[in-house]
Amino acid sequence: MKRLILLAAIVLLAMIPWVANNRYVFHIATMIAIMAPLALSMNLMLRIGQLSMAHSAFMGIGAYASALLTMRLGLPPLASLLSGGVLAALAALVLGPVFLRIKGVYFVLLTYAFGQIVNLVFQEWTSLFGGNSGLYGIPKFSLAGYRLTAVSQYYVFALLFTVLAYWMVRTIERSDIGAILQSLNEDEMLSRSIGADALSWRIAVFTFSAAIAGISGGIYAFYIGFLSPQAFGFQLSVDLVVMNVIGGTSVALGPLLGAIVVVPLPELLREAKQYQLLIYGLCLMVFLIFIKQGLVSLIDRPRRKPA
Amino acid sequence: MIEQMIVNGLLAGFIYIIMALGFTLIFGIMRIVNFAHGEFYMAGAVVVLFLFGALGWNFFLAVVIAGFLAAALGIVIERVLFRPLVGNELPGMIMSLAVGITLQSIALILFGPSEQSVQRPFSGTWQLVNAVVPWDRTVVAIAALVILAAFYLFLKHSRLGLAMQAVAQDRETSSLMGVESGLIYASAFGIACALAGLAGGLMAPIYTIGPYMGELPMLKAFVVVILGGLGSVPGAVLGGLLIGLSESVLSTLFSSTTALIASFTIVLLIVVMRPTGLLGRGAP
Repeated sequence: MKRLILLAAIVLLAMIPWVANNRYVFHIATMIAIMAPLALSMNLMLRIGQLSMAHSAFMGIGAYASALLTMRLGLPPLASLLSGGVLAALAALVLGPVFLRIKGVYFVLLTYAFGQIVNLVFQEWTSLFGGNSGLYGIPKFSLAGYRLTAVSQYYVFALLFTVLAYWMVRTIERSDIGAILQSLNEDEMLSRSIGADALSWRIAVFTFSAAIAGISGGIYAFYIGFLSPQAFGFQLSVDLVVMNVIGGTSVALGPLLGAIVVVPLPELLREAKQYQLLIYGLCLMVFLIFIKQGLVSLIDRPRRKPA
Repeated sequence: MIEQMIVNGLLAGFIYIIMALGFTLIFGIMRIVNFAHGEFYMAGAVVVLFLFGALGWNFFLAVVIAGFLAAALGIVIERVLFRPLVGNELPGMIMSLAVGITLQSIALILFGPSEQSVQRPFSGTWQLVNAVVPWDRTVVAIAALVILAAFYLFLKHSRLGLAMQAVAQDRETSSLMGVESGLIYASAFGIACALAGLAGGLMAPIYTIGPYMGELPMLKAFVVVILGGLGSVPGAVLGGLLIGLSESVLSTLFSSTTALIASFTIVLLIVVMRPTGLLGRGAP
């Protein structure tokens, strides 16, 4: 019952931009809808007990690929968007077998190094990626001759993907796969002894979550129409972790709530950027120590232990 | 040219070593990747900016006080924020992200985003073989060597240092042997932060001082430590020298970003082949 009320609340939240009918509100809502799938993809990683600092790079790969394939090769936007997702997934698929053999801290280090390299390449390869001054002139998203120009249209577009991503993560969570992932996180030896191939499952999760991140990046690229490497730096991966910690990692609703709370913060505190960071840091501390299971635990007692 | 590159590389390497030592100490003892390490470096530089730059105190006195204050800050932060999370790798790392963000924003509120600088306490250069060496970098290098020697002696010959090594090797057994873990955590964090604060204080006159100044040294420490092996002191020394030298050569021949990309790539390859780094031991 509580869950139903919560879902209804989220649907109502999703309608706010139309009630407000204000461009700025629409923009913030669209950014939430773009970041929410990313937070969900980070949630999948945290579920298998791996903190990934590479997800900002996966988003970047998806964003730049979507933009460049449309601009330079004239691919239809949808094809570019999907290719961006595939490219990000491929990167994860190639890296996964190497990175995921390694647990914990070293995985963080490897993904961090990978994220930095990708970002430095975006910065340095000016002729292709536009460097620090950015990549301009990304066309609007279009499908079957219908061009998305208004913010509200992008909001719907991003929202649809959020719903899809949420549904997928939720399905995984409730299925046998979810149980396997859970067991891998809690007692790898035991789950291996009953035949779960730990590495393959981890690679699958890494690849799938990278695909989500890549597509979110593509939607971001078409919506913003301008890309710069700063958007896909270390800070983004940190933000995704923050959304999970504040929302809660135990259920897929957690990162969703996290995105709803965290994404508007910089916008609300635009006047005082320095205080925004301070509030951000302090909130994170409070949640880590006192509200370990995130906002979700305040609403509904989670059935599972957090990652 | 070659001599100059080697000298530049060694001079840079010494500071990387000092940063990396603290980083590796916290990891070895507490299993925390301290993403806030660069902010303690920044704190050290800010103390020197105030004591030496504004109040005109003796430079070395200012640096030593910077080390002590960074240590005190570290001990308080460890006790209040990290201790409740001991043994929990993931939340510990996320907490260090939170600490980093918070310290950065406090600096931002106090100083604003503008960069400041301190006049150099030493000027001029001297000749070493065919290389020109600035005096201020020489002072930093000598100070770093002294700090390194002191750290080594402390770790190998003091009771606390030996206890720390025991905890780093086997937390449970050492606690069974009566090593008080709380004291060890606090002192490891304090010493690590002191090292970062000293490094920041020493470097204050050489670079500009601002809220974000800790990010690059932290990145370097990160690379050095993975290269040398997390938790390994000789690894940090070897890694620091290697990264310092390779950067000096690559940034002279190409650009500093190329050097950074190259060092990340090398580290990535090394960790892929040898997950524990060059001199690290044990399973990751």
